[in-house]
Amino acid sequence: MKYAFYPGCVSKGGCPELYPSAVRVAAKLGIELEEMKDVACTGAGVLPQYISDPINARTFAKAERMGLPIMTICSTCQGVFGQANLRLQDAEYRARINREYLAEEGLEYKGTTEIKHLLWVVMEDYGADKLKAMVSKPLKGLKVSPFYGCFLRRPPEVVTPTKESNARKTYLEKLIDIVGAELTDISGKGKCCGFPVLTANEESSLGMTAKHTGEAKSKGADCMVTPCPLCHLSLDGNQPRAEQQEGKSIGLPILHMPQFLGLALGFSPAEMYLKRHIVSTMAVESKVNMMT
Amino acid sequence: MQAKFSVYRKEPGAHSKPGRSTYTVELADDATVMDALLKIRDEQDPTLGFRGSCLHGYCGDCTVRVNGKAAFSCTARVAPLAAKGGEIAVEPIRNMPVVKDLISDWDAFLWEKIDSTKPWMEPKDADGAAEPQIDDKLMARVRQAMSCNYCGLCDEGCTVLPVDFKFVGPAALTKASRFLFDPRDQATAERLRILERPKGMWDCVHCFEASEHCPREIAPTERIVEMRDEAFKRGITNEKVARHHLSFAASVKRSGWLDEGRLAIESEGLTNVSGLMKLLPTAAKAIARGKAPIPYLHPKRPGADRIARIIEKAEAKEK
Repeated sequence: MKYAFYPGCVSKGGCPELYPSAVRVAAKLGIELEEMKDVACTGAGVLPQYISDPINARTFAKAERMGLPIMTICSTCQGVFGQANLRLQDAEYRARINREYLAEEGLEYKGTTEIKHLLWVVMEDYGADKLKAMVSKPLKGLKVSPFYGCFLRRPPEVVTPTKESNARKTYLEKLIDIVGAELTDISGKGKCCGFPVLTANEESSLGMTAKHTGEAKSKGADCMVTPCPLCHLSLDGNQPRAEQQEGKSIGLPILHMPQFLGLALGFSPAEMYLKRHIVSTMAVESKVNMMT
Repeated sequence: MQAKFSVYRKEPGAHSKPGRSTYTVELADDATVMDALLKIRDEQDPTLGFRGSCLHGYCGDCTVRVNGKAAFSCTARVAPLAAKGGEIAVEPIRNMPVVKDLISDWDAFLWEKIDSTKPWMEPKDADGAAEPQIDDKLMARVRQAMSCNYCGLCDEGCTVLPVDFKFVGPAALTKASRFLFDPRDQATAERLRILERPKGMWDCVHCFEASEHCPREIAPTERIVEMRDEAFKRGITNEKVARHHLSFAASVKRSGWLDEGRLAIESEGLTNVSGLMKLLPTAAKAIARGKAPIPYLHPKRPGADRIARIIEKAEAKEK
């Protein structure tokens, strides 16, 4: 199993704990990664499509040339890529992008690149049974709430285009089960974390952060797991500000999906860089350290 | 077929407490939830309040939540719900104040918000001899948003409205988008300025809930993204959002990827002392945990010049 690895900006920026933990987890599972370094930010839904589609087509063309599917570790990268790739399936549009933007560099995108988040890679390509066999430290008794990030749930034509792909909407719950942890379900697991409106409407953004983390906490979760680093910035990084705004204490640790899986694969909390989080992960670490 | 319903009840007035009433109804096998509500009102409880108009899945007036899922009560069949056993829960749609029982306050929810977006055309050359023209290709695009019949399902699914009811919402934004690409209209710039105000289009989190909820494939989220792209092209007039977007674009153009530290500072504004001070506690914590990206010392990606060239070409083409 080999992928063109697209780490995204945040895993090396605001969430520097994500990149090394994802790389360690992939290596342990025997998933080979060839990192794409000569490629652009996806645009994250901030850059308009007339800019992001050409720069993303360039990334897809490069992966196509490598003969590899792309693996992401960010729901937002995955979503923006997926939506762009769907538009680029239109032969006329793709030809125009190739002609106007990629030809100058000697590139051409033929429309064949597949893009998968690490969560989809482990659940679909690696397989649940194989993954279960790799779990060396079942996270028994750890109560975990899932939080997907919008773009691993929607839009359906990108995320769940086939009947089989509908299972993607429950992969986090399945992962929680595979690693032996306990599901603490929350109503907002597929909703927005609030990050996209942090600039335009901070109050609304922090309100969403408090709503989701507060619900998980009140239901007894020890932590929340997310496959999206932007959700992590919102749910972990902004949680203290959200607590202040809403006038309540939450204190819910938020784990990146690779960190969560890594703990079950036998990595220590330190090897998964849990100390880099804003909300203390001590309670999770103690619980994991006591597990045999 | 016999079915048991648990229906949300609330009397008018801010202080009345909501409750539930249960009804057992004998229905035809092909009955809809609306058939059941009508039968309940006619035969068991004339005080039950609900709305309905076209009764064939068009107008959206009868939108309710059935077993936790938003649906037109006039097209939602009872049989598959009854087959699951237990009570069928019927509730008013979310994100909207309740007037009575299943009747919601559409004025505050939708009409006042739509009204705020200048939802009418201001034709170019209105007094001219020739009628303004629009070609078929453009009309197809305009028609997509025009086919909205205000069922409210997109607002019902909206992620922002539960935390900020003043957000204008996807339904009103979709209505406004109908004029944006209509060459007969001359108020595009003014309308964009209205939509760019706080609680307008930049408050949308583009989570695609609205598109997923839309029963008519209008794709409200995509319509909002189109409007934002148009605003980007023309020059964003919301200062805070403009700072954020321009810093983002400049970063990708400069280095190929995002200088997150610099983006946080520039989004607040270099001269906005109180805004920058607000960032300090989180920044201090992030630095202490080895998590803060160092602003401005941001290395270039290997292909940065190629990426910049593509961005410059795209910008030049759209201007």
